[in-house]
Amino acid sequence: MDLLTTSVATAESDTEPYTLVLLDGEADVTNCNALREVLEAEVAKQPRTLILDLSGLRFMDSSALHVILRVNRTMDRQGGVLALACPRDPVAKMLRLTAGDQLLPVYATVDEATAG
Amino acid sequence: MAYSPATAEACFKHVCFFYQAEAEYAATVAGFLRAGLAGGEAAFAAVPPDKISLIRDALGADAGNVEFADMTTLGRNPAWIIPQVLAFIGAHAGHVRYVGEPIWAACGPAEVRAAMQHETLINLAFADADAEILCPYDIAALDPAVIADARRTHPLLSSGRRSMSPEYAVPSDTLPSRSLPLPALTNGAMYHTYRTDLSQVRALVLQHAREAGLTESRADDLVLAVSEVAANTLRHTQSSGTLAVWHDRDEIVCEVHDEGTIANPQAGRRRPAPDATGGHGLWLVHQVCDLVELHSDASGTTIRMHMAIQPPERNG
Repeated sequence: MDLLTTSVATAESDTEPYTLVLLDGEADVTNCNALREVLEAEVAKQPRTLILDLSGLRFMDSSALHVILRVNRTMDRQGGVLALACPRDPVAKMLRLTAGDQLLPVYATVDEATAG
Repeated sequence: MAYSPATAEACFKHVCFFYQAEAEYAATVAGFLRAGLAGGEAAFAAVPPDKISLIRDALGADAGNVEFADMTTLGRNPAWIIPQVLAFIGAHAGHVRYVGEPIWAACGPAEVRAAMQHETLINLAFADADAEILCPYDIAALDPAVIADARRTHPLLSSGRRSMSPEYAVPSDTLPSRSLPLPALTNGAMYHTYRTDLSQVRALVLQHAREAGLTESRADDLVLAVSEVAANTLRHTQSSGTLAVWHDRDEIVCEVHDEGTIANPQAGRRRPAPDATGGHGLWLVHQVCDLVELHSDASGTTIRMHMAIQPPERNG
């Protein structure tokens, strides 16, 4: 089984479409390039809102954070918004210690993320 | 422009103050802080709690203008101190005075080694800072070897009056790259060699952390720290790394060794910009662990991460 699996869905909230990427497993330096490719492919479609559902992510290291921060820069440039939803405790703490949670909106649920 | 003492003082000073008696401690430290307050300078003191009381009593009403921190909490991992002092300097304009007592009698050998590394790194981290740092050392209670190292890591000594420390060694001579290798781990450590399977490394650390009795959230902290260090093996070397795990009733220790070399002695010691897309790994290691020891030279890097079994109080 892959250490990290991703699945992509597009949905609508209040008629506003958004892209939802579910991350499942462990995200680290060994799979951050694959994560980058998945996310960059979605960013290239220029979504207004890209939400990463982290509820299935048991572990995230700084390599994965850096991928997400780079994607966030591109989303910024495109005028879109990247948001994180439902990080588990270890991931939420890592986001706090790196101050990643000051650059990226972090929501407890996907619903809250879509409400912005 | 008119002469002002503040301008003349506008440079970095790192002074070691050897003391024996409480009265001497209180008078010198309070005098140092008061001289700054009189000139409108910001003042910060991180010392053990009994010393906070001594300084407060000696300062009287002036104590209200000094920011205090309990060094047994802030400095339990000495890597937490410099970012805190840099934040204090960043929050205050002009010359800043800081009193830091990073080593006290109850510190164990690993804590003393880490604190002395911290003293060396102060000379680099604050080289351009408009700040004066006074570090009290209890000459009666501390091991003579600690006192000797303090003379090597502080450019200035204070005992009655100030003088240059004849033993002061430039930081490059007292940094991890030149310091002695870490003392050998105890017998009975579990060893594991890894190359790319970091998930297995994390699972092993989690299993041992649970067996040792760490709380779940502190076990997660240790897993993150070890994983970040092991990730550096993949990023920066072409060979495998070795993980050693060992614990007793007091602490669990994870040591990672690989063939990489950490050239920047301040790596992980300064808070990276939030939007930096690099440099968070060692920062995280220092933030989540109770103590981190590092030795790095051309033959490789050893990073030893300590976690106390009983969760201690900590800042933040």
